[in-house]
Amino acid sequence: MIVSSARPRPIVPFLLVALPAAFLLVFFVIPTAFLLSASFIESDGVIMTGVWTTQNYADLLSRPLYQQAILRTFGIGIAVGVVVIVLSYPLAYFLVRTTSPWRGFLIALSLSPLLASVIVRTYGWWVILNREGAINSGLLALGIIDQPLALLPSSMAITIGLSHALLPYGVLTIMASLNGLNPNVERAAMSLGAGRVRTFLTVTLPLTWPGIVGGFLLAFAIAISAYATPAILGGPGTQVMATLIRSFMVQALDWALGSAMGAILLISSIALLLLTSALGGRRA
Amino acid sequence: MNKGPWTLLKVTVAVIYLFILGPILITAAVAFNGTNRSFFPPRGFSLRWWGEAFAPQWVQPLMFSLELAALTAVIATAIGVPLAFAFQRYDFPGKTIVRTITLGPLILPTLVTGIALLQFLTVIGLGRWLGYWALLIGHVIICLPFSVRTIAISLQAMPGSVEQAAANLGAGPLSVLRYVTFPIIMPGIFAGMAFAFIHSFTDINMSLFIAKPGQRPVTVAIMSFLDFGFAPTLAALSILSLLIPLVLIAVLGRFVGIGNFLYQEQGRG
Repeated sequence: MIVSSARPRPIVPFLLVALPAAFLLVFFVIPTAFLLSASFIESDGVIMTGVWTTQNYADLLSRPLYQQAILRTFGIGIAVGVVVIVLSYPLAYFLVRTTSPWRGFLIALSLSPLLASVIVRTYGWWVILNREGAINSGLLALGIIDQPLALLPSSMAITIGLSHALLPYGVLTIMASLNGLNPNVERAAMSLGAGRVRTFLTVTLPLTWPGIVGGFLLAFAIAISAYATPAILGGPGTQVMATLIRSFMVQALDWALGSAMGAILLISSIALLLLTSALGGRRA
Repeated sequence: MNKGPWTLLKVTVAVIYLFILGPILITAAVAFNGTNRSFFPPRGFSLRWWGEAFAPQWVQPLMFSLELAALTAVIATAIGVPLAFAFQRYDFPGKTIVRTITLGPLILPTLVTGIALLQFLTVIGLGRWLGYWALLIGHVIICLPFSVRTIAISLQAMPGSVEQAAANLGAGPLSVLRYVTFPIIMPGIFAGMAFAFIHSFTDINMSLFIAKPGQRPVTVAIMSFLDFGFAPTLAALSILSLLIPLVLIAVLGRFVGIGNFLYQEQGRG
């Protein structure tokens, strides 16, 4: 019997992807494209008038409040990227090089924050940093200060909270790049007389540079679109793009500005990730 | 060899672990406060806040989150399996595009995907979908990349010769799928389902915009209650919502080697 398996090629994958692709087209691609075009349309509250304009962007980029929020967002993003790399490099280096029997457990432990909602992770920082928090009570008890410090709300608090939340991404990116390093290169440097520190600085660090850049940009990209941490650890004086988008969309019901701010965020993230792959870093 | 730098590194690493775990442990400790403020170190000792975390006000969003995450995980897996097969086993026109829009939600800010969905549903007159249906749609979109990639990894890891052998021995294509392919990739499917569940359960950036009162996940409920202050109840609730994914991972870790998947899933491009 001849069961024709001659040319079933195009039909099988088509059947496999048609439904999911249609779903994503309707509920993800079209809405995102719609958002981008809405950012160029004049609107009255949530009703679009249909008149094309670039006024939404002009508004966002000219008013000091919004300008500051955009600059603050990128400032926090860069600071978070730096802190994440500085903290995750030693950790990743240790996890890749250790011979401890606890290695697997330690890796799992360093990634465990990924299982917790960002709210759980931020709540702890609020408890530590608030006026009656752990740091202030500690310093008061030790007599180092006699007035509680105003650690909250502040950009610094947001930076700490986000760095904590995004640390696992840095650890993963740098571990991947350390794992890809041929250990013989380091051994060669050491056998030629370089000490551990010199080998690290002149061989390991330059060779894992793509991992560092990749981790930095990934943390940067996620940090600029984070909402919960800036909302909890920040305040009215430390608005970032995500918290402004929330107030445009939900409170002020100014969807034109919300869409435009969303579009700026979207394009910044895509630019950062394109930069990552152009620099040979790893995406995650 | 000089051991100095390595010891220094170990000390640094210990401090970093303290930084990682400190806030979570402190949140747990705060939930045992004897007072109604979130003091640390806790003042007095009480289990009252844990009891309050089980009040209907909190159980309702917690159950809502569980149901949403479970359903999202099942749907994301159901459409993730065919997608992963198509990407891994076939070449077809438009493959790159379909792949990009499948993995796109992982790369684009979830917050933007959320407001886009809010705006789109409202404008096309489906504003009444906001709440449960919008959440389900949004969560499937953002969780799909997790299941697709995990299933694709396990398909890729499977030696093709096994299927070939079964086919040579006379098994039809469907029998090969059922008795060979699926049993082998089952751990990957479960791992993908677990990732989708966790991603949905811990999400806030998507839910924030498309939830509505009475139909909102526990993260949104906590977030909106935070405006009224940081009661220890919220600390207890946060810890409860941390334990659920942890238990899930532990259970699945016993049956399938999910730890390997966590590493592969996050580490690969």
